[in-house]
Amino acid sequence: MALLKHVATHRGVETAFGKIIPEKEAYSYCLRTIAAFSANVFQVMRVLNDDWEDRTEQITEIANMMNCAACAGGENELFQYLNAFYDEWNIPELVKRAAWIGAIWGDYGDEAEDMAGRVIQFTENRVEKELDTCPWDIVGSEMCNMTTGMFTANFDIAAGGEHGAITNDVQLNMCEARGCGNPHCRVVAERLDAYGLEHQGWLDHRGAAHAPVHDTPLERRVRHAQGLRNGQYVQAFGEENSLEWQYNWVAQMGWVWSISFPLIAIRDMAEDDDEFERILRIVFATAGKNSFIDFFAREGLRSWLDIPREIGDNDPRVMGAYIDAVLGCQLVPHEWEAFDAEGVEIRVSQEDFEGRFEMAPLEEITMGYEAQWNGACHTLVSPEWSVWIAEDDDDYIITVGRKVDDRAL
Amino acid sequence: MLFKDDEVARAEAKAVRENAGWYRWTHDLVRVSGADSERFLDWMLVNRIAGTPEGRGKYTTMLDEQGQIIDDLVAFNRGGGVWWLSTLYGPHAMRWFDAHREGFDVVYEDVTQAWDMYSVQGPASAQVMAALLDEPVDGLKRFQIVERQVGETPVVVDRGGFTGELGFELYCAREDSAAVAEAIAAAAAQFDAPRLTTLEVYVRSLPMEKGMALRQDYYGLTPYEANLGWSVHLDKDFLGKEALVAAHAEGERRAFVGVEIERESYEDIAQKEILYKRGVPRGYVTQMIYGYTVDKNIGFAVVDAARCPVGTRVTIGCNDSPAIIVEPKWL
Repeated sequence: MALLKHVATHRGVETAFGKIIPEKEAYSYCLRTIAAFSANVFQVMRVLNDDWEDRTEQITEIANMMNCAACAGGENELFQYLNAFYDEWNIPELVKRAAWIGAIWGDYGDEAEDMAGRVIQFTENRVEKELDTCPWDIVGSEMCNMTTGMFTANFDIAAGGEHGAITNDVQLNMCEARGCGNPHCRVVAERLDAYGLEHQGWLDHRGAAHAPVHDTPLERRVRHAQGLRNGQYVQAFGEENSLEWQYNWVAQMGWVWSISFPLIAIRDMAEDDDEFERILRIVFATAGKNSFIDFFAREGLRSWLDIPREIGDNDPRVMGAYIDAVLGCQLVPHEWEAFDAEGVEIRVSQEDFEGRFEMAPLEEITMGYEAQWNGACHTLVSPEWSVWIAEDDDDYIITVGRKVDDRAL
Repeated sequence: MLFKDDEVARAEAKAVRENAGWYRWTHDLVRVSGADSERFLDWMLVNRIAGTPEGRGKYTTMLDEQGQIIDDLVAFNRGGGVWWLSTLYGPHAMRWFDAHREGFDVVYEDVTQAWDMYSVQGPASAQVMAALLDEPVDGLKRFQIVERQVGETPVVVDRGGFTGELGFELYCAREDSAAVAEAIAAAAAQFDAPRLTTLEVYVRSLPMEKGMALRQDYYGLTPYEANLGWSVHLDKDFLGKEALVAAHAEGERRAFVGVEIERESYEDIAQKEILYKRGVPRGYVTQMIYGYTVDKNIGFAVVDAARCPVGTRVTIGCNDSPAIIVEPKWL
């Protein structure tokens, strides 16, 4: 139906039983699975550190530092990096580029992540962004502070008059946050000199705006971002990202900012690696078990994947098909080694499975999903079946098989 | 986005319509020179560049091989075979020229970082300029470009702008920018002409009311679809001409139109939001804005030319905002 040429490129993810999950649905699901993984990681953090202020400060600081590092490099490198960004996004000279860059960075990321909304105001001294939806709204309040603090980096690397130097000229506040129960997320960047503001500390990113905000009426809010609505994202100056580009970007970068960055701090909250990994497995196992505790969740999955009735409830292929769909929607290449009533084996390269963003592989993905899928298998199929992930040269084999474990979690 | 109740934006728009306002307006600037500079630009650009008198400029589009718009710009003849191209897409233009320079003795350079630019717009803009410059510029023709001084500082001034009002653009060396801005502020203050701070007012709202679109609105259309057929000179050769002629012969399938929505605001309408006629997609909005002179939410759209003539009732976006197709010019 749609006129836009990008629609012709839409594809889908095929389930184990031949049903096609449309690309847009797969993209949405991918986002939510990354957000759910992030939510589990944040639960680990809360177990390890019961002080909201302390843990929030730690993850915000590390996320900001990592975001600066990812963008900066040496002085000349940053200069070149920014020029390339201005060119790629065609941020014209007629605006004070430095005042806009953080907002444009944030906007295209938000839109790719289906944090659907709008830029209310884009001026030299102030940017106001309102988001009606957020797949990460299940993670919790620490993340709302962390992401806002993290994105000061995008303003700071370009906000001042010193092109190519990292400055700190903007206050960035998530004045409202869906993750904290507000109807919207509302992010406001205000220039310190224009509003007479002080530099923020790591815990100061949930403050109020210093100029009046605009509240979009309920009937004009949106349920999805531009990519899912219109087939592409269009930034303020007309440059576009296709839905395909956004999906691929998110399947990599979603793991970086929402999991990889905070994990650096969260690991340090544990006494040692063993304690961190023990708690991580417990949290993810619990999350997995709860995924399919309801009969309608099991029935819903069967319907979604088009699992035929010939395959009964106590069949490992049900779990195998679920894992296959998760990997497929997350754009992780994988292949079947076995898929029958005796068990399921899925081969995936370790590099692909853990290195969603090639430069920042996450072994926690393997630990987390092994525990989560094993827990899920016990309620989706039955406790007779387990999931484990074993190394095979450079690959992993994800197995759904029978296992008796007298000390099972 | 701009909203009806934004009094700051309204005051800025009113100043330009009724008096004058000024703002930094630095475009990308590509300097073209060499023995074949005029012939090269005449090939690359749709409007007739050859024969443009020294000190004058022309608005034109630039097409790809399919005859579709990839940029619109003003080409100024600075004399001695030197041209200035005022565009929002300098790096893109440079790459495009690289791909098509073979056979031309031409040199081009992105000099954007060397020149800052300010715009003074509004009925009283000539008076502001008279107070600012060593010599008046009120006699300039549209896109005429001259050299003047602000105090002891040399500047280049053309009569142009993007508001549909009488206006002037002033170029100065980057190192002189702060001093020139201060001088403009002082001259403007004599006429109560404010510095505009709301980008959306002078990039979208003021121009759209007068039917002035951005390259991002026209991108991918033919000049005929974009209502710019007047600038096409088929009696000369230019890049994309063959495809353009063929497309024009078949008739324009798309139309560049205006839309007015009948709701208080347009928060759910992004650029490229889909436009529906009786529930069927028939085009997309290129941008929406609030026009403070016409006091309406207005926009540009690209639609199915045959199915969506002026007067057609449509809806836009996921919340079915009711709208009507109008001419893409309000004032």
